[in-house]
Amino acid sequence: MSSEPHIFFSDVNERQGSFLRRTFLLGGGMALGTVALVGRLAQLQIFKSEEYATLATNNQFNFRLVPPPRGLIKDRNGVVIAGNRPSFRVLVVRDETKDLDQTLDLLGQLLPDTLERRRTIIREVNAAPRFSPVPVKSDLSWEEFSKVNLHAAELPGVMADMNEARYYPFGGAYAHVIGYVAKVSDRDIKAIRDKGEQPASILFNPGFRIGRQGIEKALDTDLRGEAGGKRVEVDARGRVVAEDAAGSKAPVQGSEIMLTLDNDVQNRALEVFGEEAGSCVVMDVRNGDILAMVSSPSFDPNLFVSGVPSKIYRALADYERRPLLDKALGGTFAPGSTFKPIVGLAAMKRGWDPNRRVVCNGSFFLGRRFACLGRHGALDLRGAIKASCNVYFMTIATEFGPDAIAETARDMGFGQSFDIGLTGQKAGLVPDREWRRRNPVRGDGKWYPGETPSYGIGQGALNVNALQLAVYTARIANGQKAVTPRLIKSIGGVEQTSGTAFADLPFDPAMLKVLRDGMEAVTDVGGTGFRNSQLGLGAVRMAGKTGTAQAQNYGAGSRKGAGRPWAQKDHNLFIAYAPTDNPRYAVSVIVQHGGLGGGTAGAPRAREVMKVALLKDPEIRARIEQAGFEAPEDAGAREAEARGEPVDALPTDIAAPAPEPIQ
Amino acid sequence: MTASALTRPGERDRISSKLAELDWRVIGLLCVLAGIGTAMLYSIAGGSWSPWAWKHLLRFGLLLIAMIGLAMVHPKWWFHAAYPVYGLLLFMVLLIEFTPMGYVAGGAKNWLNLGFVRIQPAEFMKIGLVLALARWYHGHSAQDARWSWKLLFPLGMIGVPFLLVAKQPDLGSAMIIGLTGAAVMFMAGLSWRVIAAAAAAAVAVIPPFVMFVMHDYQRNRVLTFLNPEADPSGTGYNIIQSKIALGSGGLMGKGYGLGSQSQLEFLPERHTDFIFSTVSEEFGFLGSFTVLACYLALILISLRIAALSHSHFGRISAAGMTAFLALFVLINGAMVMGLAPVVGVPMPLLSYGGSTMMTVMIGFGLILSTHVHRYVELPKGQGLF
Repeated sequence: MSSEPHIFFSDVNERQGSFLRRTFLLGGGMALGTVALVGRLAQLQIFKSEEYATLATNNQFNFRLVPPPRGLIKDRNGVVIAGNRPSFRVLVVRDETKDLDQTLDLLGQLLPDTLERRRTIIREVNAAPRFSPVPVKSDLSWEEFSKVNLHAAELPGVMADMNEARYYPFGGAYAHVIGYVAKVSDRDIKAIRDKGEQPASILFNPGFRIGRQGIEKALDTDLRGEAGGKRVEVDARGRVVAEDAAGSKAPVQGSEIMLTLDNDVQNRALEVFGEEAGSCVVMDVRNGDILAMVSSPSFDPNLFVSGVPSKIYRALADYERRPLLDKALGGTFAPGSTFKPIVGLAAMKRGWDPNRRVVCNGSFFLGRRFACLGRHGALDLRGAIKASCNVYFMTIATEFGPDAIAETARDMGFGQSFDIGLTGQKAGLVPDREWRRRNPVRGDGKWYPGETPSYGIGQGALNVNALQLAVYTARIANGQKAVTPRLIKSIGGVEQTSGTAFADLPFDPAMLKVLRDGMEAVTDVGGTGFRNSQLGLGAVRMAGKTGTAQAQNYGAGSRKGAGRPWAQKDHNLFIAYAPTDNPRYAVSVIVQHGGLGGGTAGAPRAREVMKVALLKDPEIRARIEQAGFEAPEDAGAREAEARGEPVDALPTDIAAPAPEPIQ
Repeated sequence: MTASALTRPGERDRISSKLAELDWRVIGLLCVLAGIGTAMLYSIAGGSWSPWAWKHLLRFGLLLIAMIGLAMVHPKWWFHAAYPVYGLLLFMVLLIEFTPMGYVAGGAKNWLNLGFVRIQPAEFMKIGLVLALARWYHGHSAQDARWSWKLLFPLGMIGVPFLLVAKQPDLGSAMIIGLTGAAVMFMAGLSWRVIAAAAAAAVAVIPPFVMFVMHDYQRNRVLTFLNPEADPSGTGYNIIQSKIALGSGGLMGKGYGLGSQSQLEFLPERHTDFIFSTVSEEFGFLGSFTVLACYLALILISLRIAALSHSHFGRISAAGMTAFLALFVLINGAMVMGLAPVVGVPMPLLSYGGSTMMTVMIGFGLILSTHVHRYVELPKGQGLF
């Protein structure tokens, strides 16, 4: 710098002095500011350090519930009838997506069907808590799964994982007994809260399923198991960075449930119904084990696991044959002629001699004419059961009255529900004078004698379900004990009360013998159920009783309602037990609006189901094989053909030989 | 080199003499801070030089050379450049505001797109402002600086860019511009009465300004600062997470590369505005105290450099630059500790970002130049005003 400074002392000094003072102040202020920051640091990092350390740990570590595998449900032989299968699914985390719409567009290119459910998906995703993954599609094929994984980088917030889904390998066969699992709904949560309990946190886990029907619902807590937990380190987006094995707890699978059902019998029982509606129950007459309990038509419970599409649900709910209704427990029908042995039993108990004959000339008069199926002439009790004579049973019903019949009906298992572990049973109705007093007709609580003849043939207000019919048949066949049904064999390996210690029936075994003789005659030459009750298993024969119940009163004329609309046709019933000489199994079949007779619609179905039950019984099978009998499958049909009788026009799967592999 | 060498005519102007006159404490502290910044950026990236650490170090290296180069520049050139630089930057800010060359990023239109490069003139505006103010005060008397109608010039020099930048809206930069200008006016000798009156006016004006003039997101930031827990997942998230990072660091820290808040990305903007939280989390109170001590040392050394200058231009410009640096540190520190609203002010030399680092390094170039040329006295009364 060449130019010499211009020095104006007073001015310079004044400016400089002021500047130095001010700069000193400013420097002090800055130092003070820094000290304040250090003080704040000390406050946060030294005095409140622990509090913030906890917050940081809460950020860093997350306890994630691991849903437990649901307990298996097996049949009596250990066949898995409700299990779990691996399922690939796609989940979306809203807070990780840049733009949900755009992400779903891209996902829709990979999985076109998500586009159809787009609105539902958006609603569910938006309702989910922050960083909580929402399943948008389950059961991906391996290809779809790998496609999603391949494009994971372009799809922030979308992930694919594997979980376990409930699986019912036999589809509709167990739909009503086992029921199904479904998504936990707000109503489930509310129901738990209403009971004053805190809902388990696992219920909020996406993909967790709760038992919604049948055994799945009744034993939900047993099947559910214990949720495990995984302590995971997560980043700010909720992505798992690492897993802390020490802080984790393995889930415990739910208890295994073994049912008394036999898979082969159960499947056959559904099969024989074809498109017909109805129900069938098979029971072991010695211990009450239910071998089969079926309601037809059925539905695929697998549909409900991941949420049934509303279209399909509507179709199921609107179908007049009511596939969603469990007709075995929740559908009650007039038992019709299958009730007649009860009436006979009630009479015998009150001193009626079974050998005493009643003459049937085709009609019974009590105020009006009640028609019989034919003119049977003089019949004793056995003959009356064999011919299903209305006149005979109307006569004794009128003689002993409704209260006697009702008492015996209840002793044999009607008008009550059984503790088999399932709710939703309808007890039906066994009318008597007391009931009429409480349910007067047009203000009149008196039982009129004119009601009794109908009661004697199982019509009127009387209402029973298929399980009750099976119990009643089992009690006749047992001949001594008041057998009660059992459905749950064991829970988690613990055997459930088996019905070996039944009370004795309040009847002389000889009276029950009379009924059995009558029922044997039904399936013998000349009986109402002869044609379709031939097992073709040689000496192993089946006894039974036919029944037809009017679905509605359409007066005289066409009794069975053939040619009428389905909903107006008669119900066809059949009860049976076998073998006749040493009863083992009891079967009840109700064909709803079958429109035929109990012998034509019910008996062949009972026969087919019974055959499977018998052939699966090792003792009976040994007995049949010792007799060196011909191939058992189509023997019945061949016998019938040999006699020149037409084979019934039944769905082919009934007439066809039983395909079961016999174990 | 001895002090006597400087007494010989011409000797002072030789580069070797100037290099010897550099304040190596300042350069050392700058290197330490930039080194800590690089180390933290390496840690945040999960132990990787990319994407931030190597760029940060490279920029610092280049800017360090540039800074030393600027330190060699004679104050007369700074003095002559002051108004043109200020004018050019003001022109650029106007271009952003009134031509389509303005470029929006992060909610504020504060980038100027020159085609080949995008710059943030608001960053450099602070340097231009300090230089222009220093030049103005250099040519005016203590009386003028205390209280006279002529103060309208410096007030205008501060006010015009402040309003333009605030309108972009880049609240952080505007605040720094305003406060830097205020600090310069204060150091130049503004009357205490005027200061008291201005402070009173500010207290009266700020609440209505917050409620009615600010943009929604700005208002949110301010309101959130007052009560961050009211919206823990929204705008309060940053402050809460930063406090957690700081607090959980404790006395000794979690260890280098082991900060869960920053490594797992709970801490937002952890490589820019919130890098100080990362330092605090991983090195604890000791680490963050050390960093603050480094800054304070830098500030005090720089103020001393300003005080020792023989020219009023040198004094004002060096002190202005120091005030500007100090504001960055204090505002950012207060922000990450939950004492100030989140306004987007980075921590100089620690935070990743080229513009801020360049501004700070140019500023230190000026400070070092003032030190090297501390005996130079500039003539008074040159220039426009």
